[in-house]
Amino acid sequence: MRVDDAMPRPLIIQLARVGDLVQSMPAMTALSAHGRATSMDLLCPAALASIGSCIPVVERVLPWEVERWRLWGDRWESAPKDTLRDIETYLQKAALKPYGVAYNLNQHNASMLAASLFGRRVVGPGDSGPLATALPPWADYLRGVVRDRARNRVHLADVFCGLCGVMPSGTAPRLSLPPMDVPDDLASVGEGEGLWIAVVVGAGDVVRRVPPAVWCEWIKAFLAASSSGHIVLVGSRGERELGRAIQDDLSPLCLGRVWDTTGRTTLIQTAAILSRCHWVLGSDTGPLHMGTAVGARAMGFYFARARVHETGPYGEGHWVWQAQLPAGQDVQGESRMESMGVEHINRWPIAESVRLILEGRCGDAPGWTLWESALDRWGACYLHNGVASMDAAREEVWRRLHRPRHEAHEYV
Amino acid sequence: MNTFEANLATVAAHDGSLAAAIKQAQGGVLTIVPARSGVPTASAAGRSIHSAYDPRREAETWANAQAPACRAGEVLVVLGVGLLYHVEALRACVAHDTIVAIVPDLNELHDACTARRMDSWIAGVEWLWDQTAAMAEALAAKGRPLRFLTYAPAAVLHASVHAALERLIRHHIAARAGGQIHVAVVGPIYGGSLPIARYTVSALEQLGHRVSWIDHSPHLASYELMAGLNEPRHRAMLQSRLADLLGQLTIARIAEDPPDVILALAQAPMSLPLLEHLRRKQFLTAMWFVENYRHLTYWQQVAAGYDHWFVIQQQSCEDALRYAGARHVSYLPMAADPAVHRPVALTPDEQALLGADVSFVGAGYANRRDVLPHLITHEWSFKLWGNEWDGDSVLSAVLQRQGARIDTETCVKVFNATKVNINLHSWTGEGLDPDGDFVNPRTFELAACGAFQVVDRRTLLPEVFTKEQIVTCERPDDLAPRVGRWLRDDLGRQQAADAARQRVLAEHTYVHRMRQLLTQIGVSRPDRVGAILQGERQAAALIERSKPVPELIPILSEFPARARVELKDVAARIRTRGTSVTLSREDLLLLMLDEYRMEHRDLL
Repeated sequence: MRVDDAMPRPLIIQLARVGDLVQSMPAMTALSAHGRATSMDLLCPAALASIGSCIPVVERVLPWEVERWRLWGDRWESAPKDTLRDIETYLQKAALKPYGVAYNLNQHNASMLAASLFGRRVVGPGDSGPLATALPPWADYLRGVVRDRARNRVHLADVFCGLCGVMPSGTAPRLSLPPMDVPDDLASVGEGEGLWIAVVVGAGDVVRRVPPAVWCEWIKAFLAASSSGHIVLVGSRGERELGRAIQDDLSPLCLGRVWDTTGRTTLIQTAAILSRCHWVLGSDTGPLHMGTAVGARAMGFYFARARVHETGPYGEGHWVWQAQLPAGQDVQGESRMESMGVEHINRWPIAESVRLILEGRCGDAPGWTLWESALDRWGACYLHNGVASMDAAREEVWRRLHRPRHEAHEYV
Repeated sequence: MNTFEANLATVAAHDGSLAAAIKQAQGGVLTIVPARSGVPTASAAGRSIHSAYDPRREAETWANAQAPACRAGEVLVVLGVGLLYHVEALRACVAHDTIVAIVPDLNELHDACTARRMDSWIAGVEWLWDQTAAMAEALAAKGRPLRFLTYAPAAVLHASVHAALERLIRHHIAARAGGQIHVAVVGPIYGGSLPIARYTVSALEQLGHRVSWIDHSPHLASYELMAGLNEPRHRAMLQSRLADLLGQLTIARIAEDPPDVILALAQAPMSLPLLEHLRRKQFLTAMWFVENYRHLTYWQQVAAGYDHWFVIQQQSCEDALRYAGARHVSYLPMAADPAVHRPVALTPDEQALLGADVSFVGAGYANRRDVLPHLITHEWSFKLWGNEWDGDSVLSAVLQRQGARIDTETCVKVFNATKVNINLHSWTGEGLDPDGDFVNPRTFELAACGAFQVVDRRTLLPEVFTKEQIVTCERPDDLAPRVGRWLRDDLGRQQAADAARQRVLAEHTYVHRMRQLLTQIGVSRPDRVGAILQGERQAAALIERSKPVPELIPILSEFPARARVELKDVAARIRTRGTSVTLSREDLLLLMLDEYRMEHRDLL
């Protein structure tokens, strides 16, 4: 195929989980806002295709069928010819043709290979070839944050912007959900008076899971303080037991106000349920971020390895409770993060977070600091007691790393 | 033209001799009546072979359940005839060019040809109908992976023929096996299966396979340290934790160098969650349970965890394991290692020290304490070797080395230095084990040493040795007369011992057992282990199969023709080209496949 046969739209490659896909939306929006492309195609895991297709700037979603690749990998030795033929048929059927440019947002090898396979030119990890060990500056920065637990300055969603060579657009993109049915008994979620609070009961990474007993206490406290409030439990099929465990300890009087959707909705239905809620609560998980992208305000409980400045909810008016080391403990790096594991948390900011939702204001709680999200010209920032703590540092990172691909739109 | 004639005409057009044979057969095996759906259905000997309601639908369900496992290039071998609805349904739902139906009794096929029209598809199936050996030879000659599909309601009529057919095919495949398998052998911390694990490793290496020996015996000191704790609760908890830790160690070793097959020996520290984890990651696991299943019963907890069980006992043991959830259970008797168990020349001092007219080597089980005193106070000399004989005042006079444990090398010397070796299988009761079935390793080891032995009765002994090779004792009071009779017959002893040794060398070494074990797994998994054993993963074979994709040939040609080539090897070769080289589309696809396979098998 000649170069001029390549697709005119760019291809965005995001092969990680739902949280990462949502966090990639600012980069896609920025590419569009800076005139790099009015629309683009998205290569994402097949399981996330329904969410990808709700991103307004995405023209077409190309589902990446991971299971198929695994099966092909297993059978190549027994049928090399047939395997390659099947792959080519699959790529043809999925219309995975070469693109003029592929923006790769992941650092793992499969993503870099996909970028080389489908992009005439690669922007992001793999831009020097799929086997090159050198990473572009933003990818190198991200690796430092993830692997070495280096001090974070810039939010992951903004790093994705940097990887694409654009500045953040200064807005928080929203998913555009199509009309859809949800199970009949959930149809009235979000209707009537009172606050609707979605509680994300689990987390993909078990160490980031808020214990069911804590959620139970939180729900009791909220329902006691808000006579018209409602709770919606959100989780995957594998988290149904967590949903049940939370409800087991609730008073029968509470149960009429608690709606359990765990394991009962598809991903896109979960997004629809979240869109009907005023707030979404959870640890640093995909549904928490998805909630922000469908209009809910987020309140995150960040502990274990989750850090507000790195992966806090994107946009304005969200809140994050960040677990703090007990006083006197002075450890660095990975040890520091491990020491914030759930087993080291003696007290959860239950009363404080309920008050914050109902009254709109609150201060730190013992063992926790409270951060409010905002957006500025460098992207997401988080304010503690109304003060942004890392503005200079963020600017320094941007000035050091950013390689604008279209100078007219950039800050330099 | 009636139904029978129409069917026969179609068969005759492709295979005249089969048509003639069907015509000559008498039929009368199947009882045929109409099903509710209107088509014929059948029973035999009072058992239904097809549904009484809708045989076609039932057959389609069966075929649809089989189809996903069938891989391209395999020969599908159907066991079970009946009215062949299932064969017709299979033919319709798979694209394989070769489906072979095994016909143990032409009368059954005659009945099927009489009952219903099959001329639209019958020529699309290959029929094997001769003697079992000839059928096995014909299947082995296909030179392609064989996948056996059993239609159980019909196959049960000829279970013995099918078992014989599979056995013969295993022999054929084993004889031709040339591919190199990577086997991880997981041993126990201590115990009788530890030396067997070592013999297994050696045998697999002799067969040319690559072995990762995961030896847990260095951890015995820690295990014994815990055994010294006074509080049983502490002891049990810590030993259990050590076993868990060693399980994790096993996983780490496997993750670092993923094998094709993980073979555990009895008592290997492999828990059910660990085995399930391995299965999720698509590792093939096998257990050779070289223990008496009636005495050591922990198999119940892990039966469902292993893909393959190999046991030293037959029917009741196999049934019990299947009942507990085991998928594939096969009989695999014990063996000897001729490099260890062999005739040795003894010095006069050794002969004097270790030799005797009659000897017994082993631990002091109850039945031995009961039977062996029969050998004392006779005209012959008797020596007793081994441990756990404390408190036995009768036998203490003949006990050697104060009941110290005897190492293998000394054992072999004692066997060689003794005229009549007594081999009493261990049992916790008195007298001889009434349920004695399996044959212990000692039987094979003595035979391999060229040593004469008298062994207690075992129901499975005739399968491995004849009366001319091994002398048996039926009752405790029969033992001394037997010993006396054979001590007087030097030539007879020599002839029996020689014959037994030749039998071991010909059929009962660990090399034989490992070949049988891998072939059995290969027959069950033709797409994986079977294909490797047949050499289909060697570079030359891959090149042959890749010819329509010429882009693959240059990279495959970089490997020696007989070298086993896996995806990871090809990917590693591509990566060595350096970062500045532009990769082809095929290179990128191969690297992508390798990435996903690695991720898939990421254990930790």
